[in-house]
Amino acid sequence: MDGGARMTVVHYLNQFFAGLGAEEAADQEPVRLDGPQGPGRGLAAAGIAPDVTLACGDDYFGEHEADAMATLLGWLDELHPDVLICGPSFGSGRYGYACGVLAREAGRAGVPVVAAMTPDSPGVLAAEGAAYIVPTGSNVAAMREALPVVASLAQRLAAGEPVGDAESEGYLPRGLRVNVLSERTGAERAIGLLLAKLAGDVRTEVEPRGDRVPPPAPVADLAATKVALVTEAGCVPQGNPDRLPTRHSNVWLRYPIADVDSLDPDAYESVHAGFDTTSANADPNRLVPLDAARALEHARAFGALHDVFYTTSGVDTPVATAARHGQEIAADLRAAKVGAVILTGT
Amino acid sequence: MFITALPTIAQMVGANRVLRGVSITHPTGDPSLAAGDEHDLRVGIVRRALDMLTVEVEPGTVWELDG
Repeated sequence: MDGGARMTVVHYLNQFFAGLGAEEAADQEPVRLDGPQGPGRGLAAAGIAPDVTLACGDDYFGEHEADAMATLLGWLDELHPDVLICGPSFGSGRYGYACGVLAREAGRAGVPVVAAMTPDSPGVLAAEGAAYIVPTGSNVAAMREALPVVASLAQRLAAGEPVGDAESEGYLPRGLRVNVLSERTGAERAIGLLLAKLAGDVRTEVEPRGDRVPPPAPVADLAATKVALVTEAGCVPQGNPDRLPTRHSNVWLRYPIADVDSLDPDAYESVHAGFDTTSANADPNRLVPLDAARALEHARAFGALHDVFYTTSGVDTPVATAARHGQEIAADLRAAKVGAVILTGT
Repeated sequence: MFITALPTIAQMVGANRVLRGVSITHPTGDPSLAAGDEHDLRVGIVRRALDMLTVEVEPGTVWELDG
């Protein structure tokens, strides 16, 4: 940092912004350059001059991620930076991804990181909340606007000064919840949010932390596919013999249906505490469509119905617990070579 | 794929193949129908669910029962 000999600022760029060449240099292995390069000069002008610039070709990073990361993290380990700045990578997919991965790993190693990219860049997901990411426009025209925000955050992180919340500082939410003292009670803030929403300004204090996965590929051949039924509707054998909790469930259960053609109300019920189960208990097929699935299996609409169904009560379940249930059930389904799932929820 | 009467919540949590169910308390049935008609409805729902499993979808796609 300018005049601050005790601080070390490292800047990561791709081959293009480091001045090494355009697409013809995309295979460039990681290189370590002294001082600011390209946008680093703008950072210097904004008050935070990179001491070292690390650069890597976009294709090299994409095709040799482990090697590139080993080299880059090795350098960071030597340099012990007080802050790492990645990009801005704007809307660039490969560059953004490289920035996100490096930001994540450096952040987890304890280096404060600031990156800058479009909110829909793959780098945002790759960073997994481990870095401060300043949202930018999609191309280099957004440089002038982005650099001062990046520089301001980086200066304070390097100096160990506190950084405010995402909205007031202008970085993307990191998915962290931080305890703060507020001068206004929860009720006052909730009413404020509601009034803002009615006026068309939708805001939140708690950004939902989405777990986005791309849609699975379509089933290629239903006739050769084993299909499973899964539910969070609390459907269990009559009398709930395994004591499935009616809410806050920390377990999932599986029940054999190899010899069952329909969920008879004398044999099955729902113990879910989150909805009126009257009509479901009159015919549990209204929650888990076993009778219809069996009829379609007999009509050869698909290969076979898996010989167990999976159930839990999805009421007041913490997201972490629900995620664990999903992962465990998915592992069981994979082991049973199930190729498709019909999940029902209430 | 996910059958639910609350598709916006399904989208919010990241479900990609969503079929709108009949209602919250009976996503795959309708007590107002005669038994045979309700069974036909349910077969139609499962058939539509199977159809959805065989096509490419964008993230957060919601299908209606008639479509």
